[in-house]
Amino acid sequence: MSIQERNNVHSSGAGSPTIVFAHGFGCDQTMWRYLHPDFANRHKTVLFDLVGSGQSDLSAYDYAKYGSLHGYAADLLEILDEFASGPVIYVGHSVSAMIGMIAAIEAPERFVANVMVGPSPSFINDGEYVGGFTRSDIDGLLETLESNYLGWSSTMAPVIMGSPDQPELSVELTNSFCRTDPEIAKHFARVTFLADHRADLARVTTPTLILQSSDDLLAPLGVGEYMLAHIPGSTLSVVDNVGHCPHLSAPCASVDATKAFLRQLGLTDHG
Amino acid sequence: MDSEQRPLSSIDEAFERAPCGLLATTVDGMIVRVNSTFCGWVGYQAQELLEKRRIQDLLTIGGKVFHQTHWAPLLQMQRSVAEVKVDMIHRDGQKVPMLINAARRRHADVEYNEFAVLVVIDRHQYERELLRAREKAEVALEEKRVAEEALREADRRKDAFMATLAHELRNPLAPMRNVVDLLRLKNFADPQLLWARDVLDRQMVQMTHLVDGLLEVSRISEGKITLRRESLDLATALKYAAEACQSIVAAASHTLTVALPHQPVFINADPTRFSQIVQNLLNNAAKYTPDGGAIWLTGRREGEQAVISVRDNGIGIATEHLPSLFEMFSQLGAGLERSQGGLGIGLSLVRTLTELHGGSVSAHSGGAGLGSEFIVRLPLSNEPDATAASHVPDPSARNATRHRVLIVDDNEDAAESLAMLLQAEGYDARTASDGKTGVRLADEFSAEAIILDIGLPDMTGYEVAQAVRQSQSGKSALVIALTGWGQKQDKQDAELAGCDFHFTKPVDLGRLLAILAGGSVDPAA
Repeated sequence: MSIQERNNVHSSGAGSPTIVFAHGFGCDQTMWRYLHPDFANRHKTVLFDLVGSGQSDLSAYDYAKYGSLHGYAADLLEILDEFASGPVIYVGHSVSAMIGMIAAIEAPERFVANVMVGPSPSFINDGEYVGGFTRSDIDGLLETLESNYLGWSSTMAPVIMGSPDQPELSVELTNSFCRTDPEIAKHFARVTFLADHRADLARVTTPTLILQSSDDLLAPLGVGEYMLAHIPGSTLSVVDNVGHCPHLSAPCASVDATKAFLRQLGLTDHG
Repeated sequence: MDSEQRPLSSIDEAFERAPCGLLATTVDGMIVRVNSTFCGWVGYQAQELLEKRRIQDLLTIGGKVFHQTHWAPLLQMQRSVAEVKVDMIHRDGQKVPMLINAARRRHADVEYNEFAVLVVIDRHQYERELLRAREKAEVALEEKRVAEEALREADRRKDAFMATLAHELRNPLAPMRNVVDLLRLKNFADPQLLWARDVLDRQMVQMTHLVDGLLEVSRISEGKITLRRESLDLATALKYAAEACQSIVAAASHTLTVALPHQPVFINADPTRFSQIVQNLLNNAAKYTPDGGAIWLTGRREGEQAVISVRDNGIGIATEHLPSLFEMFSQLGAGLERSQGGLGIGLSLVRTLTELHGGSVSAHSGGAGLGSEFIVRLPLSNEPDATAASHVPDPSARNATRHRVLIVDDNEDAAESLAMLLQAEGYDARTASDGKTGVRLADEFSAEAIILDIGLPDMTGYEVAQAVRQSQSGKSALVIALTGWGQKQDKQDAELAGCDFHFTKPVDLGRLLAILAGGSVDPAA
């Protein structure tokens, strides 16, 4: 099985540096639809699905390998080998922000910038550190996932109601960006929400932007500030947005913040 | 338009009292419209929700995360979601399971999410039951796997136990065999002593046969037997097997009739194992046929198969016993009815060895008292080998004689009794009970033949063999390794260490004497 098939990689365009987009827990690369076009005309771009999500090869999901984020980081480095030209600008959402960070600590020469969208190094409260959740909250999430995937049986995508005012979206009616094998979804949720990479923050050498929503349940402002304080030379940019997906619900502000950061680094030439 | 003609409630009334919860929120979730059905389900007044709470504020934490990671993005990208199942928190803290459908709509340039919500308490309970049932099934499956593994482990331990048991039983057999052989060389005046010696001899043969069978079966079930196959002439191999059984057949005054194929028929078989198959069947026939019976051994070719038949006019087999005849221990039950019942090791061995050769064995009998026939079918060899017959041990060739024999064995009974036997045969035999003494004596005594037990207290027999080979007199000495196991690996180790022959305990005196007398006996046999 090729890496392209394994991770459903889509690469297009030209222009250096290559920008790689990595989606977070829940959905797939479709999440980048509002952000991606703003970069696609000047850069080579690479989109992919984490193994276990989207249109990735589910048979490649190895419970031991993906029992920690390092398994995904190893995949990312293989994707860079095959699809990137030179060191990359990496844009990762949520758990993929941490995956990119782990990969960049391991192979810093492959990254010129890391844009972390709604990242959290650890979701569980621990003493002074407020990740926002308790262990039992995560159990509650697993239970919710279980109930929902029970409704979404293994062969069925969720039934999507029509959107007569936007017929161009009809192709998606048979597709779900959030569909995956329920067992994998639960395992991925456990790995994502129980991971703790706070100790890795100080080892980052790649220029890093922390792009945060002003109101995000999964990554409260305190978490962004914690990361800013612990990642050497990092930048924090808060966009006015409710929810965990500023790249979807506040794409313009997200693009602006990202471009401002890249311009500072001299990595993009357009305004 | 119908409402003008039919007495329906007003649209407002229909919205408020609809049998489902109806809500509208801004894109970030703030509730801007809600019907009283939903308010009733969650225990809030409308004014406590409108512009004051987001729909996600009513969710459990798990539900909030799921909202953030799944259905909020879906609403954004697909503008709709369906069948999302979440728990809403009632004002009194109770969780109310609900099913949500939602669509994103634009009204006057502002986008809203519109929700229809159903309470699904029964469905929720059913789902919990299903999940619990699945969990139970998974636990049961795991328990089954663990139990199966435990059974396999118990089976492995049983096999290992049997192998060790057989091995341990062999050790005392060796000196007993020697003593009985020694007694055979004496002339007893007292006929009762003569009778007693013969009883001992016969029972020793039987005992050795049983223990060997047990060892073989357990080693086969441990997967430790590999065949050394070669092209074998059926007629020659059958002739030797029949000769080997001659004493047992004669002891019971049976008549053995052997019919061999006239044309050469070749099979691809391990000569030792093939001989075991035939001998076990002949022993079986001799055992279950009253004295003075008739036994027929026939070999022939049928199509692409060699067919070996062993038939007798003995006690026969009751039809109900036929199916389980080749199972180990199958004769335990049946054995109660007849004096010579056993563990059923022999037939189990026959089947296993036959199957290892890619063949099959079957049993036939008209019933009790009507005799039995056992038929072994083996595939023909693809490459007939005219020289194959020469590989079969031929105990007739002997010429030179080795006179000074050293026996190294820490089982002193075994060593002494073998030495006495050899002395009775006119040899000069000495013993040593450890390796060091053995090496020293070999030199001092200028031993011409050395019989070496492999399991010595201070060094292995192989090490002794290597040390002996260093000395001048040891170079030309005949070195015979002796082990309780008799596996291929032992034989290879023995060869590597410079041993000329390899014997398993108890020693076959006839073969030992033949070798000492300088016979060109096949060292591999």
